[in-house]
Amino acid sequence: MTEELVMILDILRGTSYAMTPLILAAVGEIVAERAGIVNIGLEGIMLLSGFMAVVFAEMAMNPWIGVLAGIGMGALIGLIHGYITAYLKGDHIISGLGINLFALGTVAFGIEAVWGVRGYYTPPLEAKVPIIPGIEISPLFIVMILITIGTYYLLYKTSIGLKIRAVGENPEAADVVGVNVELTQLLSAVYGAALAGLAGAFLSIDWLAAITKELPAGRGFIALALVNFANWNPILALGGGALFGFFWTLAEWIKNMAAIKAIIPVTLMNTIPYIATIAVVAGLIGRSRPPAHVGRPYKRE
Amino acid sequence: MPRNDTIVYMKDIVKVYPDGTVALRGVDFEVKKGEIHGLLGENGAGKTTLMKILSGLLRPTSGEIYIRGRKVHFKSASEALKHGIGMVHQHLALVPAFTAYENIILGLPGKVIDRKKIEELMETTGLKIPLDAKVEDLPFGVRQRIEILKMLYRNVDILILDEPTTNLTPIETKELFETLRNLKKQGKTIIFITHKLREVLEVTDRVTVLRRGRVVGVVETSKATPEMLAKMMVGREVVFRIEKKPARPGEPVLVVKDLWVRSDLGGWAVKGVSFAVYSGEIFGIAGVEGNGQSELVEAITGLRRVEKGQVILMGRDVTNKPPSELYRMGLSHIPEDRQKLGLVLDMTVAENSVLGIHRLKKFIGKLLNMKWKNINVHAKKIIERFEIVAPGVRAPARSLSGGNQQKLVVGRELSKTPVVIVAAQPTRGLDVAATEYIRKILIKMRDEGKAVLLVSADLDEVLQLSDRVAIMYEGEFMGIAKPEELTEEQIGLMMGGYHMDQLKNTSSNRKVLEAS
Repeated sequence: MTEELVMILDILRGTSYAMTPLILAAVGEIVAERAGIVNIGLEGIMLLSGFMAVVFAEMAMNPWIGVLAGIGMGALIGLIHGYITAYLKGDHIISGLGINLFALGTVAFGIEAVWGVRGYYTPPLEAKVPIIPGIEISPLFIVMILITIGTYYLLYKTSIGLKIRAVGENPEAADVVGVNVELTQLLSAVYGAALAGLAGAFLSIDWLAAITKELPAGRGFIALALVNFANWNPILALGGGALFGFFWTLAEWIKNMAAIKAIIPVTLMNTIPYIATIAVVAGLIGRSRPPAHVGRPYKRE
Repeated sequence: MPRNDTIVYMKDIVKVYPDGTVALRGVDFEVKKGEIHGLLGENGAGKTTLMKILSGLLRPTSGEIYIRGRKVHFKSASEALKHGIGMVHQHLALVPAFTAYENIILGLPGKVIDRKKIEELMETTGLKIPLDAKVEDLPFGVRQRIEILKMLYRNVDILILDEPTTNLTPIETKELFETLRNLKKQGKTIIFITHKLREVLEVTDRVTVLRRGRVVGVVETSKATPEMLAKMMVGREVVFRIEKKPARPGEPVLVVKDLWVRSDLGGWAVKGVSFAVYSGEIFGIAGVEGNGQSELVEAITGLRRVEKGQVILMGRDVTNKPPSELYRMGLSHIPEDRQKLGLVLDMTVAENSVLGIHRLKKFIGKLLNMKWKNINVHAKKIIERFEIVAPGVRAPARSLSGGNQQKLVVGRELSKTPVVIVAAQPTRGLDVAATEYIRKILIKMRDEGKAVLLVSADLDEVLQLSDRVAIMYEGEFMGIAKPEELTEEQIGLMMGGYHMDQLKNTSSNRKVLEAS
């Protein structure tokens, strides 16, 4: 194999990792927002789930238990967020903000309380999700692709999807024909948060194999941008996520080149994926079309 | 009392809204199976409220409902739907981003969904729609057909239509009536809410007339005349009379020439209206709401684009000029929705009292600093002069009662020392005292030589205050006359779509009406 081919494969492999958490969280959020529930707490969910995944995977010495724990943690927060927004008609942004703040405090404390270390912990190898031998990518990458396609099918090809989208577009119309608006919103919020939880587990016990309170590093927010970029369509989120992931990996790769390292400080290079995100999303403002009733509580007369 | 062929029987229905408004005061309503039943009345008569109760959207304060002889209590619209009752609202309950097909099947369990059946239904009812087109791309008439089809596919056999012709073109209206007759042949029962006499006479079998939350009468359409229905709909006890000197009109101050204005939906809301308001007179515009009055006012006050025609203020063409310029020229606007357009509810009384005139040197300093002393004095003056009950000038406008909020708006607008006052629904939702107060102020303004344009859905108000009155119907004036020269019957007929030329002499022209 030539050196160039190795390099290209390396970047593609890197991309497959970088895109996975973004797309998982974005696809989940697409479902929630299609039902009208905005959750800006994705970042916090990733962090909390990442933490819980490490705790449980290490306890059971089984990464899959960790993955389930991550999903469960996400679902639990989704349940709370969904209850606050759909049933109590609370403000979506405030609730989401609360999730983020709660996660920051809890995980910083949790790492110290559980492992007695400050800020950074690496789980043992047995607790890490294994790589698919041969192609050397994560099984969760495959899972992510399946979930994305499945979610697309759910949203656009099933009557459940019709209900979800109707609730986010015109809850009144859905209500009149007997759709349970609140329940639909609650379940969509749970689904969305559970996928963000899976993304968190992927970060902590698969890709990065570590837990810090900076684990998501803004990926939760980039996922929110990706929802917009994808125009609330899971398949487009797959493409968009791949693009974002590619930028991310490329930036990582460039900054490690000796020649560039000498000129540009690494910290500045670290901002590339974020700047790329802003650039891409800014160009899109006004062109995407959010669900008509997203982020607003539905109140009957 | 209900008989065998009674399908809907509502007994002694009372509805009091949470804010204390009494919408229905003991209404008995009965519909026979397989008929088209008209529900006729002015704004606020309670037609829509009654039907929202029947379709499960509202719960009655008291009263009983029987469907096919069985007593029912609906907790939601979907429960009423299960009993075969469906309502097509003026604002259709469709998801604009969905296709017609998706809208029809929304919420149905998978096993009931059968596209072929929908297509068959389209054939048998004559309701032709493009199933795969997005609703937002379709004109209103087609959307309405989708909504009806949606109801029929859910096995609705009691179909309620709320003012279904409001946004329809004449051809679409004709098609709708054809459909309704067709549905009747298939055994469906239809309740048709309207204020349009012509339509009631054309399509219904029986009519129930509501006025101020009470049933005035139930008549067989074949035995009804337009005059009779008009009188039933409008005729009313006079609450109070206002003392008013004869008007001494001077120069024309506000002149509108052949004005054409579009509605939000893109159709024509105002179709070639012309009139002049003279100084020292009140010019009233009456008519059932939604006939273009709001759009007309917005066009005159610079809030909506004039497509064709002219607005002339004190001899100057001000067509499509920005509101700020009109205000500077001496136009005051008391908007129809005080909470949305008149006030910023979370700002204080003082702040609200200078909205729109906050740029005056009196209120603003060289560093763009607000001169609070002057502003507070200004606000206090308004409070005193208009007897506003307010906790203070720093209280948020929200804390004032509806009547006092309106007085604040009126006070502010009149403090601008206007030449022309455009007052839209100035007493809506106010109690008797506040209403009387505002009406007296308007008369006082007129006596001081100002020109007043009054738009109101309250017929008493327009007739008592106005020196001349125009009756608006579907964007056109049906006639302009002095109120004392018109009979209630004539006004009712014009509100229902008859032109004044057609009824100069009501008793002798019944034949003309029937022929038209």
